[in-house]
Amino acid sequence: MRVALPRGDLRSPVDAHLRGVDFVVEGYGSGARTYRFEVERREGVEVRVFSDEDIPIQVAIGNYDLGIASRQWVDDLLVKHRLDSVVPLRQIDVPSEPLVAAGQPGRTLAEIAASGIVRVATEVPNLASHFLLHARVPDYRLYEVWAQAEAWPPLDAELAVAPRSAVEKEGLEVYGTVHHGGVWLIANREALSTRDLSAALEPLLRIPLAREQGGLVQPEALTGVQRAQPRAVAERESFRLAVPDGHAQRHTVAALADAGIAFDGYEEGRAVRTPTSDMPGIEVKVMRPQDMPRAVALGYFDLALTGRDWLRAFTATFPAAPVVELCDLKRSNYRLGAVITEDLAVDSIEEAIAYWRRNDPEFPIRVASEYVALADEYARSRHLGKYRVIPISGASEGFVPEDAEILVEGTETGATLKANRLRMIDVIMESTNCAIGAAVRPSGRRGELRDNFVRRLAAGAGA
Amino acid sequence: MPVEPPAQLEEATVPDRGLRSHGMRDLGPEEMQRFRAVERTFLDVTASAGYREVRMPTIEPLHLYTSAGTLSPRALDRVYSFLDWDGWSGERVVLRPDATVAVARWYGDQTTPGAQRLSYVQPVYRFTPEGDREVWQCGVEFFGAAASTADGELLTLARNFLAGIGIAEVECELAHAGLARAAFAAAGLDVAEQLAAYDRMLEGDTSLIDELAARLPQGAAAMRLLAEVDGSTAGYIGNLRAAMPSVIPGAEGPLAELESAAKALDAAGVPYRVLSGTARNFEYYTGVTFRLHVGGQTLIAGGRYDQLSQTLGGSPAPACGWGADLLRLTGVAS
Repeated sequence: MRVALPRGDLRSPVDAHLRGVDFVVEGYGSGARTYRFEVERREGVEVRVFSDEDIPIQVAIGNYDLGIASRQWVDDLLVKHRLDSVVPLRQIDVPSEPLVAAGQPGRTLAEIAASGIVRVATEVPNLASHFLLHARVPDYRLYEVWAQAEAWPPLDAELAVAPRSAVEKEGLEVYGTVHHGGVWLIANREALSTRDLSAALEPLLRIPLAREQGGLVQPEALTGVQRAQPRAVAERESFRLAVPDGHAQRHTVAALADAGIAFDGYEEGRAVRTPTSDMPGIEVKVMRPQDMPRAVALGYFDLALTGRDWLRAFTATFPAAPVVELCDLKRSNYRLGAVITEDLAVDSIEEAIAYWRRNDPEFPIRVASEYVALADEYARSRHLGKYRVIPISGASEGFVPEDAEILVEGTETGATLKANRLRMIDVIMESTNCAIGAAVRPSGRRGELRDNFVRRLAAGAGA
Repeated sequence: MPVEPPAQLEEATVPDRGLRSHGMRDLGPEEMQRFRAVERTFLDVTASAGYREVRMPTIEPLHLYTSAGTLSPRALDRVYSFLDWDGWSGERVVLRPDATVAVARWYGDQTTPGAQRLSYVQPVYRFTPEGDREVWQCGVEFFGAAASTADGELLTLARNFLAGIGIAEVECELAHAGLARAAFAAAGLDVAEQLAAYDRMLEGDTSLIDELAARLPQGAAAMRLLAEVDGSTAGYIGNLRAAMPSVIPGAEGPLAELESAAKALDAAGVPYRVLSGTARNFEYYTGVTFRLHVGGQTLIAGGRYDQLSQTLGGSPAPACGWGADLLRLTGVAS
C-alpha cells in the first residue's frame, strides 16, 4: 500500500494531522532529505514524498493508492485529462490560498477581454484555460511559466493566474477567483475498488475536515464581449534586461561584476523585482531563468542572463523560437544527462535498456524529468522504443528506480545523485550560464546597447 | 456543423494489441468500400444541387473557436488543443473540432464571396472517454442566402441525400432559435440568463415556464405553447402565430421562416415535429434548426447561423448548413 505525501509548505501541517490520527511517519515532518518512509505500527504501508504538484498524476496512474495534495493540482489535471482514476475523498483542514486572475489596477476583465488578445501568465495552464473559456474571453494566449506568473503583468502580460498573496504583493488587482484552493485526501479508483486499503484509509479519513470549502470556480460568462482585431504595437524604445533570482543569482551577480556592471537592488542575497541602473534608458527585471527564453522570443527583453540548459529545453520544445545564445558566461557549470540507479551493473544506456527489457520486449521505459522536451528528445535519439516521459516538478532524485527507470537531471558535483544511490550514465549536455537575445539583432540604440553588454560580459568571462 | 456525439466504438473484431490510440478507428477494405459509397452519393447529390467541395486544414488556431462562440466552454474543454512547435507565443492550436467554423473562416477570407454553396467531407476531433474521437463529417454550408431561399433547399437536399443512400423513411424535428430568444427577451432575461434558460428548456425543466410566466403574465400561454406542446403540422405554427406576436415582439419573422421550412418538408413528404429547440448551441444558431432522424438516431443536424461570418471578422452574411456523421450513415445505409 503506497501513500504519496507533499513536501514544501504543506509538510508541517500535514505531519501534525498525521500524528493526530496515529499515522506517524517519522522524519517526514522534520524535512529529512530522504524520500521514502515507513509508517510506525502500520505494516505494509509505504510513504513517498513528492512535490505537491506531482501527487495527483502519481495517484491517477496508479503508482500510489492514496495521496494528500492541493486541490488545485488535482483539478489542473482533471479539467484537462478528464481522468476518473482519481477520486477526491475529503478536504482536510490545512490552510491554502485561492488562485486568482489579476492584472493592472483600475481595469476589469471585461475591458481587457474586449481590447484584443489577452496574454496570460500562469503555472496552472489548464485551470487558467478553464477560467478563460468559461468566462468567454474570446482570444487569449497562455504563457505557461515555471514560477512567478505575477511578475508578468502589466507590461509582459495582461493577466496573471497566481496565488492571491503573490499578486497582491506585486500590486496587481484581482479580477476574479480561478480556484478556491483546499488540500485533499485523494485515492486511486482501481485501488479503492479492488484492494483493502483500510490500514491507511481508516486513519487518514479521521483527519479533521476543512472548515472552508475549496475547489474549482465556474466563472460567470462575460456577455457581449467580441474578439477585437489585434492592434499594432509601437516599437519599444527602452533596452530591457532580465536577470535571474534563485540559485542562479549568485553566479549572475559575479558575472556582471566581472564585466563591471552593477544594478541597485540586485546583489548577492538581495533582489527587488525591478533593480535600477545608472545607465539611462535601461530597464532591469528579475525573473525565473527558466522563463527567460520565452520572454526573449516574445520580444519583451533584449538580453537575458540564464542557463544554457533552459535555452536548450525551450528550443527543444519550440525549435523555431527566435532566441539564441549570445555569449557564454562560463559560470554555474553542470552536466545534464540520463541518470539511473547505482544498483544496475551496466556500462551504457543500451545495456540498461536490454536489462529492463530482458523479460518483456515491450516493457515501457519510464523517463522522469523536469525537462520534458529534452527527456523526450533523449528517448527518441537513444531509440528507447516504447517509453513514457513523466513530467515532474521536483524531488526528482526519489523517482528512480521505483517510479521511473531513467531520470533526466542536472548535477553540479554529483554529490546529491550519489547520496541517493544514483549515477549519470549518459551526458546530454554541459551547461553554464549565458546571455541570450533575439535571433535578429535589434536596430538602433537597443542593438548598440546589446552589443555593448555582450562585449563587456564576454570580456568579463575571459572569452 | 456540430453533429450528435459520436457513435460508440464497435466491438473490435481483432484483438487490441495496444498499438492503436484510444478512440481511433481503423477502416478496413469493406468499411472503406461502404464509406466511399456513402461519400460518393453525398458528393454527387450535393454537386448536382450546385454545391462545390472544399477542404480545410486539420490544425486551426484555438481562438477561431473561442471567438466564434460556436462551441460551448464545455465542448471547448474537450478539444484537442496543444502548443505547436512554434507556439512560444502561447497561441494554442486545435485539431479541427468542428467543420463549419473553418469553412466560415474561408468564406470570410474571400474578397468577393457573394453566395456560395459549399460541401465538405473531413474528420473532426473531440475527446470523449468511450466513443470515437475522430468523427468523419460530411456536410454543406450555404453562405449569402436568406432563410426564405436557403432553408427549404437545405432540408430538401438533406432528404435527397438520405434517399440516395437508401434511407427513405426519415422524420424531422424542427425549431427556430429566434422564437425562444424572443420569448426570453420579452420576459426580460439578459444574454447570460437566456443561455441558461435555453438549456433548462431543452432539459424539460417545467419550472422554467412558470418563472417566465410570472415575469410576463400576458405571454404565459404563448410560452407554454412553445415549450410544452410539440407541433406536428403547419397548424401548430398557425397556433404559435395566434399566440406569440402580440405579446412577444420579434416572433413574427421567426414564425414566417419556420413556416417556410415546414412547407419544404411537406412538399418533400417528410413528417416533422415542431419543437422549442433542437440544438444545444443556442448562441450559434439564429434561425431554423433541424434534425433528421430514423428510429431515434439522428442522421443529419443543422440550422441557420447568420452571425458567424461577422463574428469571425468577415462581412455580415446569412448562412446555414447541415452535417452528418458519415460512419454512422454507413451503418444504416442500404
